[in-house]
Amino acid sequence: MLTIFKKAAIAGVMTLAAGAALAEGYPEKPIEVIVGYSAGGGTDVMARTTMPFIEKYLGNGASLVVKNVPGASGQIGITEVANAAPDGYTLGTFNLPGMMARTLDREAGYDRDSFTYLANVVNDPNVIVSSKDSGINTMDDLIAAAKENPLAITVGMSSLGGDDHFLLIKLQKMTETEFTIVPFKGSAPARTAVMGGHVAVGIFNVSEVAKFAGELNILGVAQPERSEFAPDAPTFREQGLDLINGSLRGVVAPAGLPDDIAAKLRDAFEKAAQDPEFVKAMADTANPVAVVTGQEFRELTDSLYDLAKEAWETTPWN
Amino acid sequence: MYADLLHALPDVFAWTNFAAVVIGVIAGIVVGAMPGLSATMAISVLVPFTFGLEPLVALGLMAGIYNGAMYGGAIPAVLLRIPGTPAAVATTFDGYPMAQKGEGGFALQVAVVSSSIGGIASAFALMLLAPPLSKVTLLFGPSEVFWVAVFGLASIIFLLGGNPIKGLISACFGVFVSVIGSDPIYGNDRYTFGQLEMLDGIHIVILLVGLYALPPVIDLLETPLKTGVNSSNLGTEPIWKAIPRMKGYWKTWLRGSFIGIWIGILPGAGGSMAAFMSYNEARRASKNPETWGEGEPEGVAAAETANNADTASALIPALTLGIPGTAVAAVMLGGLLVHGLQPGPMLFRDNPDVVFGFMWQFLFGAILLVLLGGSLATNSFARLLNLPRPLLGSVIIVLMLIGVYSIHGRMFDVYLMLGFGAVGWVMDKLKFPLPPVVLGLILGGFAEENLRLALRIGRGDPLVLLQNTTSLVLVALTVAVIIGPTIKQRLAASRKPA
Repeated sequence: MLTIFKKAAIAGVMTLAAGAALAEGYPEKPIEVIVGYSAGGGTDVMARTTMPFIEKYLGNGASLVVKNVPGASGQIGITEVANAAPDGYTLGTFNLPGMMARTLDREAGYDRDSFTYLANVVNDPNVIVSSKDSGINTMDDLIAAAKENPLAITVGMSSLGGDDHFLLIKLQKMTETEFTIVPFKGSAPARTAVMGGHVAVGIFNVSEVAKFAGELNILGVAQPERSEFAPDAPTFREQGLDLINGSLRGVVAPAGLPDDIAAKLRDAFEKAAQDPEFVKAMADTANPVAVVTGQEFRELTDSLYDLAKEAWETTPWN
Repeated sequence: MYADLLHALPDVFAWTNFAAVVIGVIAGIVVGAMPGLSATMAISVLVPFTFGLEPLVALGLMAGIYNGAMYGGAIPAVLLRIPGTPAAVATTFDGYPMAQKGEGGFALQVAVVSSSIGGIASAFALMLLAPPLSKVTLLFGPSEVFWVAVFGLASIIFLLGGNPIKGLISACFGVFVSVIGSDPIYGNDRYTFGQLEMLDGIHIVILLVGLYALPPVIDLLETPLKTGVNSSNLGTEPIWKAIPRMKGYWKTWLRGSFIGIWIGILPGAGGSMAAFMSYNEARRASKNPETWGEGEPEGVAAAETANNADTASALIPALTLGIPGTAVAAVMLGGLLVHGLQPGPMLFRDNPDVVFGFMWQFLFGAILLVLLGGSLATNSFARLLNLPRPLLGSVIIVLMLIGVYSIHGRMFDVYLMLGFGAVGWVMDKLKFPLPPVVLGLILGGFAEENLRLALRIGRGDPLVLLQNTTSLVLVALTVAVIIGPTIKQRLAASRKPA
């Protein structure tokens, strides 16, 4: 018994020592960043825009290499991250609330505790939009129409069980209304359907509609302050609706990452967030930056998990 | 909008982009000249390799290959009476008799000039029609897109010729493959057998490479080299001397171009049908129809114009609605998506330089055909028919394996492709048509997703599908395609006794 304890203790000390040594020289080889989507998508662009700045602030001649592992809406990539060695040489992109919702609506190969939470990078708030000639110009118009004729208003969105869907669930609960959900395959066809008047309104992220000010009315933005991408569009709060919701993209590592390496990585993200060049690069790619690291990121994930769980239990989508 | 067209031009002449078109055309002629190897196959094997290239390099290669292959198919059609691609079947009717009379060289020159004219007309159609049509696409909501898909499936089954029952079975197989993966609305797994790799469904390139590339390669290795072509006695004269002999064909060229463009725009139909229709119409209009089939150069002109005139126009529904009308258009659409070009009304606004550049590449590809396929080159292309088959076959197989592996970087896809290859080989032997499988996979997915979206919008009321003129027109067209051939046969039968 004693020897086992002793061995364990020695092993523990050695691991700590090795860990400290690890962090000092970290990184001594290229770090792989697994992106669960194809090259060119929103998450991929976030990763590829962010990584040069992380290299800069990690120092030590760090090199971060993006590896695209697309498939099953990010499931294949994030499962690979969850199962990787927590040595700091495998990181992965993490999307909220999608990654958490998938642990509810299917059997996932990971859960909330499979990761070391490094930093959320992007928070792209939801918006509700209508076409210019729909006759729906404000949230009041929309809610009045929905109350008058429940389920008559069709709402286009990119999928069920994503941030768009959760915003609608919150709105329905808050205003005691009911809408007919029309989940397209991706946001581009949904946006075209709103423009063509095939659905009454649509729910998107602000980055997806910022370029369409000529065709679409933004009825409300789901973040506390107005978005720099659509400064003329009112927030929901301005209109008396406490709706805060969006699509988050961040970076995680497998659970059990040594604390000092995690601290070093978080520090790099925090420094990057202050870098004006980084902020500009992200703005150029229509990525609203909202860097949140460590424990705060974990709490954010928990709150979105709870929201998804509540939605799943009250109105399951499959 | 047409100012954007000119704005895109300088980029097309960047040397890498232009070289891509040149290489594409040459490669296309080679591929087309190899019996069994088709443009669809070449482009699907190529697409995975273009992921890392600049958009216009990748798209230029594809445009070049498409144009080149449509002409290349004429080479063995004329010299050996073996159509190099399905679209070149009608070229054998008069091309081979001409070769027997010692006019093989002239037949190939007629083919190359006609192909080029068809291709140029088609590129202009794409440039002029796609931008305004992309605005009309806002009229196409889920119910209209559903009917477009149904119309496309009906055309491929009933118009492909041969046996509609076999066509239907092939299409059903394709539609079945389209349901594999997660449900488009609710996300439940369907036929995935718990494989995470299957959750996104079957990638179109995996199916295409399996079905279109593996069976012909097996065939290629099975059949020994037939007759060697002695390219020295083709009877070619310089192309500038040959062209004046063709000046009487302008009506055939015009007619063939219109037929090809129109067939290309319709989802479902493709190059071989365009060539047949153009050949029949030209013979009907001819003053001396009795010479047709005996080596009438105008017959070669009719077939070759039309099978090149459907190339660029087949991309019109693909670029505007996102619905590819032919297998080649489907692969090209895949290539466009890889480079972040999302079809639909935003395409011409978001990426004008790439889209219009691509259209220019089609035009230049067609023009280059005459230069590259001209008199001298034709001789060397004809010599290709003497290449050792095992060498060719093994090179293609290696390219297929690497290409499919590189889509997602997993062996699972390679096994899947080999499985589809086996299915394709059996279907080929039993004379089941392959194009309906591919269109079944593409259009089946569109039909299902949009039917369900339309019904959700109508809150379950099926009448939502017939609520506007566009839908009704599409329904009428579909009915016409299904019962049209039967009525024509009945009419012909009832006339005979009288």
